[in-house]
Amino acid sequence: MSEPRRFLVALAGTEDPALAELVARVVGADVSAVELTLLHVEESGPRELASYQPAVRRGPWPLPKRAAVEHRLADADDEGAAALLAVWHERFAAALPGAQIEHLVAQGLPEREIVAAAQRLNPDALILSPRPRTGPTEPGPRSVGHVARFVVDHSPVPVVLIRRSS
Amino acid sequence: MGQVRRQRRTGGRGKIAVLVAPSLLTPTAPLAVAIFLATIALVIVRPWRLTEAYSALLGAGAMVIAGLVSPGAAASDVAGHWNVLLFFVGLTGAAAVAERSGLFDALAGTSARLSAGSPRRLLVAVVAAGAIVAALLSNDAAALVLTPVVYVLVARFGLSPLPYVLACTFVADAASIALPVSNPVNVIVSDRLGVSAASLVPVLLPAAAASVIALLGCLFVIYRRQLPARAPLVPAADSWASWTGVPRRLLAAFAVAVVAFAVASGADLPLGPTMVAVWLLLLGAEWTSSRFDRPLEGVGWSLLVFVASMGILVDGLSSAGITAWLAERILGQVRDSPAAVMVVTAFASAVGANLVNNLPAAFVFADAVHSAGLSAASAHAAAVGTIIGADLGPNLTPVGSVATLLWFVLLRQRGLEVSTWSYIRIGLIVTPVTILAALGVALLLGVPR
Repeated sequence: MSEPRRFLVALAGTEDPALAELVARVVGADVSAVELTLLHVEESGPRELASYQPAVRRGPWPLPKRAAVEHRLADADDEGAAALLAVWHERFAAALPGAQIEHLVAQGLPEREIVAAAQRLNPDALILSPRPRTGPTEPGPRSVGHVARFVVDHSPVPVVLIRRSS
Repeated sequence: MGQVRRQRRTGGRGKIAVLVAPSLLTPTAPLAVAIFLATIALVIVRPWRLTEAYSALLGAGAMVIAGLVSPGAAASDVAGHWNVLLFFVGLTGAAAVAERSGLFDALAGTSARLSAGSPRRLLVAVVAAGAIVAALLSNDAAALVLTPVVYVLVARFGLSPLPYVLACTFVADAASIALPVSNPVNVIVSDRLGVSAASLVPVLLPAAAASVIALLGCLFVIYRRQLPARAPLVPAADSWASWTGVPRRLLAAFAVAVVAFAVASGADLPLGPTMVAVWLLLLGAEWTSSRFDRPLEGVGWSLLVFVASMGILVDGLSSAGITAWLAERILGQVRDSPAAVMVVTAFASAVGANLVNNLPAAFVFADAVHSAGLSAASAHAAAVGTIIGADLGPNLTPVGSVATLLWFVLLRQRGLEVSTWSYIRIGLIVTPVTILAALGVALLLGVPR
């Protein structure tokens, strides 16, 4: 039996549910020898913004205890990430019956964490859905968002971009 | 110098007109400016973990030691701000009671239920909740206490929290021009200008509504692609915090407090004692509902030190002739046209708030406008303009002013990674739009024609 083929799928969570089917088409037949790692990155930026925003701006306003706030936010992120990955797990399990599916949660800037995970796991391909912030979702100029663009620029492994089905 | 100050305070309009002359800057002006700017720098850079309150206190002490403000004048400054100081005690105390009572969680839970899993409706609900909290309990309470609650809620929907966190931050200020209690700046400005806080409400409340709607429009345009049609996760409706978690008695006390405050400010009673009375009423309700733990926790004592010191610092600027000089530069040409006064003070205080933060800017501008000796109509317009500028201006970056940006640079040096630019560019769009929306409505409603 050949080596299992390994894919890393980076998920923001809000992708089109049909993404699982589209990944299945890329992966092709013989899903029994497929290892899928679903990666979700908890964005650090908004969390910092939510807990650090008092800064100078707010003056010496009596603050909620920052450490307690950070804990609450981190817990909420973990809970959200686990729930999202559980939902996507089901979708991928349905689209790729028999494939081995693992979960991975990282914290930081999504583009950097996705590349770091690709470096660490060294999969056969890294799959993600580009999310343009302002550009069109159909192929054309500016249809690849900044995260996917960074990943394409820096990924050590082949990258597969799957657009949301229109 | 003390003489100049007293003369300005007690003198009628004729005397003030004499004072507003280009030659008004005294030889001590550079020293006063240096002390003020050094204090602001200390507040921003926070060397040796020095808090803002101590920095301001140091600056105030320097003003007194340098002889720019006599000890007696400093004491009467602090005493003269009694209304504002009492207001802060009451406001921070009331906000702390609201936080302890679970009011914010209940409000966020209601927003979650109203959204029915639609990210767009959730954004509207969050903005509405933020506007209510900011209008009734101050912008800082909305930004500091509601934001984490909203963050947790949004994470449970599996959505990116960024648009919602920014919505909270921005709406806290967009809605904070609404009522006297909505922003400490509002009380400082109306108190200093001798304009009845209640008389500003018919102008500023609709202006606040306009700026909140303008903000919502901006957020929808900016995030139109990032808000999916459905949230990826739909938590059960009964999993959200509900109003049954808030003691009935406290809810009733909040309702009574809002009405009492509205009546008292309508009757032009001083806002400080009113706010303290409201706080005591809430504490009483909290006590009888057996949630009375640490009643003084959350009262902003250091905010009092900060505000009192800021008053002394600005008095130093004022006695050196700087605020009058500033008023002459800013209002010299337009003083007789209320509409022009409103526009000019709005933009000037927006710029000032970005340079030195909103509270110090509000103090400086209120004093400057006061020293200009404007007619009643122009003073009213100036109060509206200054409040709009100082409240909305610092939104230029959602973390605050340009001054705060500096702080972010320092944070980054200490190893905290924040992709600042992605937040700033949103403030660059939202701030001018919300200011123009508020100013447009205020010009329509607040200028006699």
